[in-house]
Amino acid sequence: MNEVLRFEGVTFRYPESEIAALDDICLAIDEGTFVLAVGPTGAGKSTFLRAANGLVPHFTGGSFKGRVTVGGRDTMRYPPRKLADVVAFVPQDPASSFVLDRVEDELAYGMENLGVDPAHMRRRVEEMLDLLDIEPLRGRSVRAISGGERQRVAIAAAMAAGPRILVLDEPTSQLDPQGAEHVVAALQRLVHDQGMTVLLAEHRLERVAGSVDLAVGFHEGRAQLGSTADVIRNLAMGPPVARLGRLAGWDPVPLTVREARRMGGALPPRAHDRTEGPGDTMVEIRGLTAAHGDVPAVRDVDLQVGAGEIVALMGRNGAGKTTLLRTIVGVHEPRRGSVRIMGRVPHPGVDAALCPQEPDAILFADTVLDEVRTTLRARGRDEATAGLVLDALGIAPLAACHPRDLSAGQRLLVATAAVAAGGAPVLLLDEPTRGLDPASKDRLVRFLRGHAAHGGVGIFATHDVELAAAVATRVVMLAGGEVIADGDPGAVLGDSLVFAPQMTRAFGSGWLTPEQVAGALA
Amino acid sequence: MTLHPAAWMAWATCAGVVAFTTTDPFYLGVLVAIAWFVYATCRVPGPTARSFRVFAIGGLMAMAIRTALVFLGTVDASNVAFAALEGARLATLLIVFGTFNAVTDPFGVVRLAPRRFHEPALAAALALSIAPRTIATAGRVREAQQLRGIRTARWRGLPSLAVPVLESGMEEAVTLAESMDARGHGRGRRTRYRPAHWTPAGVAVVVAASAAAGVFLAAAWVGLGGLHPSTSPLTWPEATPWLIGVLLLLALPGIFGAFRDPVA
Repeated sequence: MNEVLRFEGVTFRYPESEIAALDDICLAIDEGTFVLAVGPTGAGKSTFLRAANGLVPHFTGGSFKGRVTVGGRDTMRYPPRKLADVVAFVPQDPASSFVLDRVEDELAYGMENLGVDPAHMRRRVEEMLDLLDIEPLRGRSVRAISGGERQRVAIAAAMAAGPRILVLDEPTSQLDPQGAEHVVAALQRLVHDQGMTVLLAEHRLERVAGSVDLAVGFHEGRAQLGSTADVIRNLAMGPPVARLGRLAGWDPVPLTVREARRMGGALPPRAHDRTEGPGDTMVEIRGLTAAHGDVPAVRDVDLQVGAGEIVALMGRNGAGKTTLLRTIVGVHEPRRGSVRIMGRVPHPGVDAALCPQEPDAILFADTVLDEVRTTLRARGRDEATAGLVLDALGIAPLAACHPRDLSAGQRLLVATAAVAAGGAPVLLLDEPTRGLDPASKDRLVRFLRGHAAHGGVGIFATHDVELAAAVATRVVMLAGGEVIADGDPGAVLGDSLVFAPQMTRAFGSGWLTPEQVAGALA
Repeated sequence: MTLHPAAWMAWATCAGVVAFTTTDPFYLGVLVAIAWFVYATCRVPGPTARSFRVFAIGGLMAMAIRTALVFLGTVDASNVAFAALEGARLATLLIVFGTFNAVTDPFGVVRLAPRRFHEPALAAALALSIAPRTIATAGRVREAQQLRGIRTARWRGLPSLAVPVLESGMEEAVTLAESMDARGHGRGRRTRYRPAHWTPAGVAVVVAASAAAGVFLAAAWVGLGGLHPSTSPLTWPEATPWLIGVLLLLALPGIFGAFRDPVA
């Protein structure tokens, strides 16, 4: 087959860094394959993706050894713009990459630069609008649409230019499960029908593991190309079904729900855990309605959350999850209704603290440790406890690092630590697992459980059904700003087609985590 | 209002030229009113519409600072009046500029630049978009710090506001440059997607605005119409009705905007 991307002995260090971000990488990818880049947070995936179109080293500087050829062109000799007809790149935060204002113009931008014939361009834009289901957004401003919509626009804009290889950095991290399925299916179609090569980094392996042809596993800057099953086994990570396979000692580990079902056999429905009821009511929301200007975001929500509860807020992009969190913490004024935390109007950062979706907005200190200390100082708490929070979230080794030098997932953990350190009893997290590898996710789960066990409340908005299945004691589903389901995770997620976690899909109602299933099979 | 971006560019340039030729508070006042009228009738819904308010506030601040500078030197009525009028001119320029930002996308204008001027035009557009972007980021950061209990209103809280705002701004600029390069910007050959068309309304706006600017330039050249009221000795400023009439030519896009077809 025709080779489209080749790395030959590539070693790269960022400027002023001792550690090799990429360490002697040798691999070749054939045209028309769907390749997954996988590995722990900060292992070099993003650097690898950016090296594929020459952004590394043309825009980063640093020391670069070896050779990358894409579509036969050496990236050292061709700057990224001279590779734009061969390779297109969708960065982790699509909003920062938009050049023009209107969605439609944004889709055409790459083609304009390549000098595509206007009549062809016109048709191509229409096709992309349909392929990613964004036709209704065509005239809107890219700054006025939701995060999930932006991600789809960025993907459409990259695909529109008709590259031979499409490189995407966590393309589903901001999408709801349905939107993610849609994007992965669209990518798969490009690979199958048009022979395009797709290379993507993703942590939520349950969303892609069954669709890709090959995987590149990353560990401390080194990379290995192989079958998805091999790579996942070597890295000891993978979707929940793979985790189950490891717990149960299956070989090979399953990668899809179908394989897991075949290997595990049938299980009876699992009875709901008899947990003791929640403690005293901590958060009390009555008749809450909130809006952005004239656009209603939350309608008539009633919710009581007791001490020790961990609540997952779920629902599609734009369902009102973020607005509800912002209203609970006290920075968004409700139109009607009230929020009370332990009987009083919440004071932001004191009664409830919220880690926002964009962690960069809160990071300003020179070191990770200082970032946490600042919160403690502002809240008048003992600064010596900073180390404990870092430890609990597994980022103590990063204490002396500059927050902005870290990977996206690591920055999110630092922001979470900085917010949680203030000691507010109600801890709110907006999309807390974007860019997190499974190990970091496990630590976050333990951290939330610890917070709840000490009489706190955790409420998080997420698209990550596996996170909800693993840690939530209760799931609240929102649609159009209203609560449409509220209850035990087994019940709420179990009878949803879209939101069911892998274990429920494989083994039926009530089964949420690989640990539960492995226990029953043993 | 879907005028050709170049028509907006011409309108803004002409309005700027008019503001530049005069320090008379009556002319400047009328021009500010026209800018507001055009903004109100032609703004593009979305976050860019906010830039009018941002530039209006910035303009008033510039005027206040310009006036306050006088108090560093000899303070008398004519000095203060002179500084205030100069400040008012600056404020008017900024407000016209805010209107331009709110009614059209600066990057849309960049696309019209002839290829040779593409790079400088792009740099200009990026520079133009910095102020509104910074303000949006500042709001977001301020709120984010509040979420963890840090009050950015105090002096001690200043780094917690300024550092992320500046760093995000830098990072955004770099990411944008990367993205443009990766998407083939600057390869040379270029085509255009759905190029904007000149409409009779667009031509009329350019003609009217150029006429207004021409008349004010001519008046300034021959010293007609009291464009610069005397501040030493201090006299009450005057305005000539027919020059006010000429100014109203600049309101033409607003009139088109007020009667626009809601479907278009």
